[in-house]
Amino acid sequence: MTAIVANSRQERWWNSRTAHRFMSHHLALIGMVMIAVLTLACVLGPYLLPYDSLHIDLRARFAPPFTGHHYLGTDPLGRDLAARLFMAGRISLLVGFSAMLLSTLIGTLVGVLAGYRGGWLGTTLMRTVDGFLSFPSIFLVLALSAALKPSPMMITVVIAATSWMEVARIVEAEVRSLREREFVQAGRMLGLSGTHIMFREILPNAMGPIIVAATLTVARAILMEAYVSFLGYGIQPPLPSWGNMLNGAQQYLGTAPWLAIIPGAAITIAVTSFNFIGDGLRDALDVRGDHT
Amino acid sequence: MRGFLLNRLSQSLVLLLIVSVIGFVVLNLIPGGPLAQFGLDPSMTQDDLDRLREQLGLNRPLWMQYLDWAWRLVQGDWGHSFRDGAPVLDVIGRHLVATLLLMGSSTVIAIAIGTWIGIRGATHRYSVFDYLATVGAMVALSIPTFWFGLVGIYVFSLRLGWLPAGNMYTIGDGSALNYLHHLIMPSIVLALVHVAIWSRYMRTATLDVISQEFVKTARAKGLSERRILMKHVVGNALLPMITLAGMQLPSVLTGALVTETVFTWPGMGRLFLDSLGYSDYPVVMGLLMFSAILVVLCNLVADIVVAIIDPRIRLS
Amino acid sequence: MTKDHTTTSTYSRRDALRLMAAGGVACFAAPNLLGKPAFAETANPTGRVVVGLSQEPTVFNPLMAHIEVDDAVHFSLFDALFRMDPKGVLQPNLAAEVPTQKNGGISEDGLKWRVRLRDDVRWHDGKPFTAEDVKFTLELITNPKFRAWRTGGHSLVRDVTVVSPTEITWRMEEAFAPYLSFLAETFMVPKHILEKEADPNAAAFNQAPVGTGAFKWAQRVAGDHLELVANPEYFGDGPYVERLVFKYIPDMTVLYTQFKSGDIDVVDQAYITADHYEEASKLPGRVVTLEPGASLESIYLNLEKPQFKDPAVRKALYAAMDRNAIIDAIYFGVGTLTETFMPKESYYYNPNLPAQEFNLDLARKILDEAGWVPGSDGIRAKDGVRLSFANATTAGNNLREQVQQFLQQTFAEIGVEMTISNLPAAVMWGEFWLKSQFDSAIAGVTYLIAADPDATNRLHTGAIAAKGGKGSNTGQYSNPEVDALLEKGARTFDPEERRAIYNRVQEIVREDLPFLPLFAYTNVLGRKEGLEGFEPNANTRTASWHATTWRWQS
Repeated sequence: MTAIVANSRQERWWNSRTAHRFMSHHLALIGMVMIAVLTLACVLGPYLLPYDSLHIDLRARFAPPFTGHHYLGTDPLGRDLAARLFMAGRISLLVGFSAMLLSTLIGTLVGVLAGYRGGWLGTTLMRTVDGFLSFPSIFLVLALSAALKPSPMMITVVIAATSWMEVARIVEAEVRSLREREFVQAGRMLGLSGTHIMFREILPNAMGPIIVAATLTVARAILMEAYVSFLGYGIQPPLPSWGNMLNGAQQYLGTAPWLAIIPGAAITIAVTSFNFIGDGLRDALDVRGDHT
Repeated sequence: MRGFLLNRLSQSLVLLLIVSVIGFVVLNLIPGGPLAQFGLDPSMTQDDLDRLREQLGLNRPLWMQYLDWAWRLVQGDWGHSFRDGAPVLDVIGRHLVATLLLMGSSTVIAIAIGTWIGIRGATHRYSVFDYLATVGAMVALSIPTFWFGLVGIYVFSLRLGWLPAGNMYTIGDGSALNYLHHLIMPSIVLALVHVAIWSRYMRTATLDVISQEFVKTARAKGLSERRILMKHVVGNALLPMITLAGMQLPSVLTGALVTETVFTWPGMGRLFLDSLGYSDYPVVMGLLMFSAILVVLCNLVADIVVAIIDPRIRLS
Repeated sequence: MTKDHTTTSTYSRRDALRLMAAGGVACFAAPNLLGKPAFAETANPTGRVVVGLSQEPTVFNPLMAHIEVDDAVHFSLFDALFRMDPKGVLQPNLAAEVPTQKNGGISEDGLKWRVRLRDDVRWHDGKPFTAEDVKFTLELITNPKFRAWRTGGHSLVRDVTVVSPTEITWRMEEAFAPYLSFLAETFMVPKHILEKEADPNAAAFNQAPVGTGAFKWAQRVAGDHLELVANPEYFGDGPYVERLVFKYIPDMTVLYTQFKSGDIDVVDQAYITADHYEEASKLPGRVVTLEPGASLESIYLNLEKPQFKDPAVRKALYAAMDRNAIIDAIYFGVGTLTETFMPKESYYYNPNLPAQEFNLDLARKILDEAGWVPGSDGIRAKDGVRLSFANATTAGNNLREQVQQFLQQTFAEIGVEMTISNLPAAVMWGEFWLKSQFDSAIAGVTYLIAADPDATNRLHTGAIAAKGGKGSNTGQYSNPEVDALLEKGARTFDPEERRAIYNRVQEIVREDLPFLPLFAYTNVLGRKEGLEGFEPNANTRTASWHATTWRWQS
C-alpha cells in the first residue's frame, strides 16, 4: 500500500541531479570548503597552539599580531587572540547551528500544522507568526536575554525563539499547496493518519525550501549572536565568542585595531560561507529565491 | 470591496492587539525596571523608590497597567516618557527626522549603485563584472553591520581623519555641507546591504525585460541598446522600486538601529535602545506600536493595490 | 602625579575646614567664590563652550528624580541656598550666609533653622527671588503627588515660615546635620510659575525651565544636545561665555574622538576613559588632568550568603587581590589605592588604616586556619558550603569584565571559584542589586550624599532594603557599633567631633571588610587650552558645576 503512495510521490528532495547542480555551483563549493576549514581550525586549533585561551598574562597585553608565538596578537588581558578566536568559533558556530536546528524544528512544526490543518488553528498560528514578525527581532532578543540568565544555551534558545517565523511561513505556504496533491489525497483515501500524512508524506516534499531556509538561518543566527554579545548581553566572559571578543574592541580601535578586525573577519567568513551554500542549495533545489 | 476592506481592517486590529500584549508582557518580564537608574544613587532610599514606583503607577497589577495604557492609546493619548516627561509622540517625532534623513540618503545610494550594478551585470551576463557583483552582494549581506561601521571609523576617522566618527552635525555649524559630511559614512554603511539586495533584484528584472519580445522588436527597429535599457528596464522596474523603498518604511525603527548605535546618530534606533536601557515603558511601547502600525498600513495598502489589480482575490 | 595633587588639595581643604570648625563664621573669611569681583562688571559674555556628556540630560526640573548627568545642566540654570566648593566648604549662594550653630542660624539643639537670603536675585523672567520661592521649593519636594528626587532630610522639615522676603525659618523633626549639605544640592524653583500648574510632574516648566542661574534655557534637540545662553543679569560672578552647549555622545570612544578633533571643549560625565589617558595627555592644545572622584570601585559581598559570613573568607579574598596590577595594567594607572569608602579629599578621611597587602600565601593560610579545606575539585569548602560564588556587574563594561576575569584567575589559585554573570544595567541595578539578590558585585559607588560624611544609607543595619529597611545597604552589613556611631554622627554638627566619629566608623569597616575596595576613582578631565576659570570639584557630581566662571582667553 505504501508502495503505491511512495511511487506517486514527487522526486526526493535530494537526488543525483540536484547533487550535480550543487557541485557545479562554484560559490557553494567554496562555501563548503571554507566552513570545513573553519570548523576544523576551531576543533583542532586550540590543541596546536602553545597558549590556553583563558590564560591571562598582563605583561603580554596588547601584543600586535606576529609577536613571538602570538600569531594574531593578544587581547587587553594578554590572552592569545588565536587561541581565543578558535575557542570562540566553537561557541559561535555551535550556537548558530543549534539555534538553526531549534528554530527550524519549531518553524516546521508550526508551518506543517497551520498549512495542513488550516481553519481556525491555521489562522491563529499564522497571525501569531505575523505578530512576532512585526516586532523588531532585536527587541525580542534583547528583552529575552535581559530577562533570562545568559548562557550559551539560553542565547541559543533566545535566538531560535525569534527566528522560527520565517521557516514557519515558508513551510505553511508549501504545505498548503501540497495538501491537495494526488499523493496526499491518495494517502487520505488509504486511511493514513493525519500525523503520518503531515510528516511522512508532505514534509519530505517540502524539504527543499526548509533546507535552504535553515542554511540561511545559520548565517543569521551567527550574526545575531555576534551583535547581542557585542552589546554585552550574550555569551559571558571568560567564555569567548566572536561577538563578545568585539565587545570592547571599539574602545581600543585606535591603539589595537586587530582586536576588532580579526573576530569580525571570522564572522564575515563564516556567514558568507553559509550564504554561499544557501545560494547553491537554492539553485540546486530550484527553490524560489525571495528571502534575502 | 467594502467587505474585503473591513475584513482586512479587523485582522489588522487583531494583529495590533497581539503586538501590544506581547510587547507589554515581554517588556515587563525584564527585571529591573525604570527605577534601576537610581540604584547607585546613595540618596535614593528604598522609601523614595517605593514612592516613585507608586507615583508612576508601577505597583498596580500588570493587567490594570496594560488596560490603562491601552484605553489611553485608543483615545489618542500615547502617554509621557518616564525620562523627560514629554509626550511620547513628541519624543518619537523628534527622532524621526534624523532616521528618515539617514535612511533616505542610504536608499538613494542603494538605488543608484544597485541599479547600475544590476543592469550592467545583466547586460554583461557571466562576465567577470557579473561574477564579482554576485560574490560581492553575498559578502555584503554577510558582513556584520556594526563591525563594518567600526572598520569604517578606524580607517576614515582614526587613521585618515577624513570623516567624522559620529553625530549628525557639528555644534554651531548647521550648513548642509556639514550634515552631508556626517552623513557619508553612516549612509554608506547602511546602504551596503540594500545595494546588495537591490542589485540582485535589478539584475533579475533586467534579464526579464531583455528576454521579452518588445525589446527584441525595439532592437530590430534599430534603437540603441542604451535607449532600450533606459526606457524599458528602468520603466518596468520603477514600480517595484517604489515598492521596495516603501517596504523599508516599517523598518524605520530598527532598520538603522545598528548603524545609529555605531555612529551615535540621534535617530529612532538609538532612542529605542536608550529607552529600553532605561526601561522607559511608554516610549518603548510607543515605538513598538508606531512600527507595528506602519507594518499594518503598508500591508493594507499592498493588499488593496493587489486587490484592485487582481479582482480574483477580491472574490475569495 | 595623582599623589601630588591629592596632598595639595587635602591640605588646603583641611585648613579651610579647621577654620570653619574653629571660627564658625570662617566661611566668610574664605574667599567668596561666588561673589562678583569688581573687574568683571563690564565684561560682555562672548564665545561658546561645548560640553560633552556620555548620557543624555533629560530631567530639567531639578527637584524631580534625576541622575548624575542632569546635574551638569541644573548647576548652570539654577542656584541652591549654598554651594559646596572644591575644598568641601559650604559657600552661600542664594543665601546671604551659611547658617551654623555659632552664628545662630541653627539652634543649639539643631532643630530650629533660619536662613537669610540675598535681596538682589531675579528669576530669568525678571521676577524677584524671595523667601516665598524657598518655602514653595521645600514644600513641593514633600508633596506626595510630586515625583521628587531624594526626600531624605526634607521630610524632617516642619513649619516653614516666611519671616520677610529675605528671611525664612523652619523646624526640624529631629536633629540632622547632613541636611545643610543636602540643601547645597536642592535647587530653588520659581513659585510664581509652578504654583499655577495642576500637575507639577507635567508642567511646561519641566521642558523649558526658568531659574536664577548664570545661564538661561535656549533650546533642546532631543537625543543630541541642548543649549543655554548667558544670563547677563546674573547676581554672581560671570557668566563670561555667551553660549553653553551640552552635547550628548553615547559612545565613550566617539566622545574622546570629538574632544581630540576639537568639536568638544570640555569632557564632562563619564569623562575620558582610562585607556585614552596617555594619548590624551599628549594632545596639543588640550589640558588633560587627573582629578579625584568621589566614588569607590569595590567588590560588594552579600554578607547574608553563607560563603561570606566568615570574616576569614573576606580577609583572604582581599589579600588575593592584586590591586596594583589591576590599576596599573587594566586601568592604565588611572585610579588610587584606598582602604576606605571615604574620599581622600574629604576632611573626614582616615589616613591611618592598615594597608592591604597582595599575598596569595597569606590568603591560603587564612583560609586553611579558618577550616576551609580544598575538595577534590580544588575548591575549598567548610561545613558543606563551597567557596564558590557568582560575580555580577553591568554587562558590556569592558574594563570591569577584564577585572573580573583577572580576579577569577587569582581567586582560583587560592581555591576559590568565582563565576561571572553580568546583567544589563537596567536589570543589574534594579531589584537584583537593591534587594541584595547577588552573591557578589563590582560597583562604583558613592557613599556620601552631597559630600556629607554620613554613610547611614549604605552601612546602617536599618538601611538593608532586603530586610525591610529603607536605605541602600545592599551588602547587608550589620554592626551595632557602626549603627550607634552613624546615628550619633548624623546628630552632631561640630566638624571636629564628627571627624572622630567617622574615623572610627572607617576603622571598623576596614576590619570587617563588608566590601573589598579596588580603587578610588580618578576622573580624567579634558578641556581645550585657553578655557579659563575651569575648576574641578569632587564634591559635586559634574565637572560643569561652575560654568559661570568659564571664559575664553582673549
